[in-house]
Amino acid sequence: MRNRARHGWRRWINGPYIGAALIALFILLPMYWMLASSFKSQSNVGAYPPQYFPVPISTSGYHAAFADGFGGFVVNSLVVACCSTALVLFLGVFAGYALGRLPMRGKYPIMVSLLMISVFPEIAVIAPLYLVMRDIGWLNSYQGLIFPYTAFNLPFAVWILRNYFLGISMSMEESARIDGAGPLRTLVTVVLPQVTPGVFTAGVFTFTACWTEFLMALSFDFGKKTIPVGIASFGSQFTVPYGAYFAASVIAVVPIAILVLVFRKAVVSGLTSGAVKG
Amino acid sequence: MATAELVHEPRARSMAEGSPGPIGRDPNTRHFARVGWGFSSPAFGVIAAFTIFPIIFAVVLSFQNVNVTGSGFGLQGFTTANYHAMLTAGLWHHALWFTTIYTVVTVACELVLGTVFALVLERLTKGRGMMMALLLIPWSLITVISAELWSYIYNPTYGVLGEIWHVITGASPPNLLGYPLDATIALMFADIWKTTPFVAIIVLAGLVMIPTELFEAAEVDGATGWKTFWKVTVPLLRPTIGIAVLFRVLQAFGLFDLPYVLTGGGPGTSTQSLAMLGYNTMFTDINFGPGAAVAVSTAVIVLVMCLVFLRAFKQQVGKETISA
Repeated sequence: MRNRARHGWRRWINGPYIGAALIALFILLPMYWMLASSFKSQSNVGAYPPQYFPVPISTSGYHAAFADGFGGFVVNSLVVACCSTALVLFLGVFAGYALGRLPMRGKYPIMVSLLMISVFPEIAVIAPLYLVMRDIGWLNSYQGLIFPYTAFNLPFAVWILRNYFLGISMSMEESARIDGAGPLRTLVTVVLPQVTPGVFTAGVFTFTACWTEFLMALSFDFGKKTIPVGIASFGSQFTVPYGAYFAASVIAVVPIAILVLVFRKAVVSGLTSGAVKG
Repeated sequence: MATAELVHEPRARSMAEGSPGPIGRDPNTRHFARVGWGFSSPAFGVIAAFTIFPIIFAVVLSFQNVNVTGSGFGLQGFTTANYHAMLTAGLWHHALWFTTIYTVVTVACELVLGTVFALVLERLTKGRGMMMALLLIPWSLITVISAELWSYIYNPTYGVLGEIWHVITGASPPNLLGYPLDATIALMFADIWKTTPFVAIIVLAGLVMIPTELFEAAEVDGATGWKTFWKVTVPLLRPTIGIAVLFRVLQAFGLFDLPYVLTGGGPGTSTQSLAMLGYNTMFTDINFGPGAAVAVSTAVIVLVMCLVFLRAFKQQVGKETISA
């Protein structure tokens, strides 16, 4: 009724489609500018008036990015994001199962505390973590980012996973228990396969958060730079190598965009499951 | 086993709602409760060690004379000087003011624009999935990258925005990042570009959950589109919008990445957010006590907002989210 069928040219040229086209332009124009600029030659990036199409196509930005150590930043980001995601999922599945399914006291205060921690401003923990990590030699190390990332993303993952655990039926779990399976075996073989969508959701969110995190990576790492810190550190005080920026940006966007698009349903369900994080 | 499970599940529910637990718990329940703590304590341990402990330690630091040397750090006695300095210097007041205005304006714009986006996409008969995918791209973009991109677009010498301005008005391109008000608007626009799609996804999900019969009934009753929107859509979207606003407000209040890269807090310190002020005090001035004071002040404000929200939305958060 609201989405009534339209015929002829009005099928495509009508209010909603014109609106959708405008939204698409709003999102895509800056993205196009990034892609186009990454293929401009060194001199054309700073040309005035600006070039609307990168002619001739040049890969000098990409060469400059890798000459500035971009390959290493990608490796660092991958290591940190993958390890954090694995840890979050491992710890989060057990905690989410316990909070969703097992009779623990004090669940309500625990869940509210987790919710608050998941939105806490990072700046509050920078000073103490920096000083302590400096004392124990964790600055410039992978674990110096992996553990804080794990801790900051776990509360949200526990929330998501717990909601999924609550949503599945008890009967299979009960029959597994009657058959004599312990809690650990019940969880791994019977319950876990039913919550794989939740695991994907929590995984994609954690990976995206680790991939984009800037403040902690900037504060705790000077040697092992992740992609955001690496890109921010390109160039010097006097030169702004936009060509290298955009080449690096395009490469950094591709994997996360593919991940998010492949797991689109998981992301949308995570964003809308009542616990929302940006 | 099975009966025990059947018996203790309602109890777990009642505990989740905050009523006191049963007095005599049968051994089976106690056993599973122990298993529960065993399963969840590793996660709680990591969270406590890297979030709760540092937050407490930050409060301690903010009340101490912190002396950072080449090899370590020392706490040299209780002091309130960090807070005194923070409250009397103009920088903190300005950062608080800037962060608050920034949060209010960006979240309001994102909410209105995001709702418009969602309403448009809800009317699409085809291609809604594709549009959703498109909306996710800015959300997953590294903020540093979008900041670099906008600094290139805003550049007064070769930026495309200046060129468009020049073509339309014939005037020379403005130096957007050179004036406090212009720089603030430029920052806000970059934020709105990146985050409106995120708000739109949440509102859209809330929209499609509203039963169509309600709209049909409104139409039968002769309500106009505008009236239906205010009397049917908006009230039913309230919980969704409330949660989206809470998370956006808290996130915007921790603002750091965007001004750090796009304006460097400038011109001068006009676009310096609270988090940036804290970071600069710690790492540029190497002043950890005062830096911790700024950081703790930010955290306290966020915490108070969070508690106020939880009170206001207790109905939704308590019933729908906590016991799902």
